[in-house]
Amino acid sequence: MATVRILGLAALLVVSSAQAQQHDHAAMMAAAPSSCKEATLACADKVTPFFAADSSLWVAWSANGRVAVQHSKDQGHTFDAPMFVNPQAEKLDAGADSRPQIVVDGAGKIVVAYTLAVGADFAGKVMIARSSADRKDFDPPKPLTKNTASQRFVAFALDPSGEVFATWIDKRNLVAAAMAKQKYEGAALAFAWSNAEKDFAVTRIAQDNTCECCRIGVAFAGPHKPVVMWRNMYPGGVRDHAVMTFGDSKPGPVYRVAVDDWKIDACPHQGPSLSVGAGGTYHASWFTDGRARQGLFYARSTDGGRSFSTPMAVGDNTRQPTRPFVLANGGSVWMAWKEFDGEESVVNIMQSRDDGVTWSKPKVHARTTDASDHPLLTAKNADVYLSWATLKEGYRLMTVGNTP
Amino acid sequence: MRFLAFILALWIAAPAAAADMQPFVRGTWQQILKDNAGKPVVLHFWGLTCAPCLAELPRWAELRKARPDMKVIMIAADTPASDTADLLKTLQKAGLAGVESWSFADAFSERLRFEIDPRWRGEMPRTILIASDGKPTVMVGLADLPAIRAWYDVAKK
Repeated sequence: MATVRILGLAALLVVSSAQAQQHDHAAMMAAAPSSCKEATLACADKVTPFFAADSSLWVAWSANGRVAVQHSKDQGHTFDAPMFVNPQAEKLDAGADSRPQIVVDGAGKIVVAYTLAVGADFAGKVMIARSSADRKDFDPPKPLTKNTASQRFVAFALDPSGEVFATWIDKRNLVAAAMAKQKYEGAALAFAWSNAEKDFAVTRIAQDNTCECCRIGVAFAGPHKPVVMWRNMYPGGVRDHAVMTFGDSKPGPVYRVAVDDWKIDACPHQGPSLSVGAGGTYHASWFTDGRARQGLFYARSTDGGRSFSTPMAVGDNTRQPTRPFVLANGGSVWMAWKEFDGEESVVNIMQSRDDGVTWSKPKVHARTTDASDHPLLTAKNADVYLSWATLKEGYRLMTVGNTP
Repeated sequence: MRFLAFILALWIAAPAAAADMQPFVRGTWQQILKDNAGKPVVLHFWGLTCAPCLAELPRWAELRKARPDMKVIMIAADTPASDTADLLKTLQKAGLAGVESWSFADAFSERLRFEIDPRWRGEMPRTILIASDGKPTVMVGLADLPAIRAWYDVAKK
């Protein structure tokens, strides 16, 4: 059953002004902004940062079908030449929440993941590439798994032990159910580990019936204890968020983050963000348009995800708040998100000095008047940075604060 | 000359009948509303990155076949924009070749969505029904096609 509602006043105004205005359509099309056609960091639509153990910055980016890695020793002011990861321009997963992943693992190798769109139904295919030991070039990319069912929204996280944890949305059980003529809602949450010996060799399903079109939030509650937050599917087609803490690398119980009651037979294209503080508090942020609440929200859990605080509304709902990102670092928790007023996109940032109980007033940290990537937060020791790729300004790594 | 006039008449009568993908840019939404002012129109937003959308496409083809009187416009809203050839191929496979079709052609998707509905954060599929008086009704998620038919029956009177 679809949700029907009448648009608000703003949309009605759009309609009436449309009838009044006499736009020349050809002129409009000519005025469309010129797009960036090069395979360069400046033209990247997605950029993912990673600070290595030596405090230098690595970024993985995608631009016009190419995936590349670049290194900076001065916090993103200058970069070495790009190392291309895929052999030529390819059809990458165009999902808004899809982005290349990068970590430098415990053995000092750069590990990159990216997702291709393959076949007539544009299924996802996750590719993995590793650098040489000296990090000067990359081995040819290989599929994450031999399984040919769709894999999308892969997320990497570096375990404190130096192993790489990967989790993604996988359709193998959907395909199996379809072959057995059984009903299967959504897709599944899959995971695998990698170190010098095992190269994501064993891929497993942690949870069936997840939403199939949103990014996944990953953090660590301790060595071999990844915590994963994703948009789950609850009975009746409700796409609310869930959290799972792996125990000794094995899937743990599933807890619901909040009862938003977002019943929707659709792709929200908006996944959550998760961070775990040094004291073990889970910090969660997400978007919903549910019956219980609508907009961006933050909640915290001090009991390993069993229960979360009452969701706190974030951002100005008249300005399309989207793409929340939460990061606990040192004695602070930071939260960034995007807002748009019809002309300009801004990244708002707020800070909590008491483990997410109270928050500062949001402050605009960056602006742009054209297309932009999701805002991401990253940290090098006590220094917290905003990582943001924008079409007009290119890639920027901006200092947000210092949280010793 | 008479042949040329005939072609011209066809073109004027059905400017968007060609199996083509038109670029949806800033201002296009208002242009579409203006072009269809005074008559009910069904606008459907879909994308290749949206599995439920792809699964639903054949049902839209059935609706169009059953109700050729209904004005349906398909708008692909993938961001970044999907390949035009892929979109057209997908529409054709679903039985929707020839439907008036647009594709988001500006990477600044926030602005395109804001012009359509400031509340829209990119969820798909999504359908907007515009009545003759310009009054919009939004259907989020898989469309209730019988409800759309019923709406159209009332709206076109």
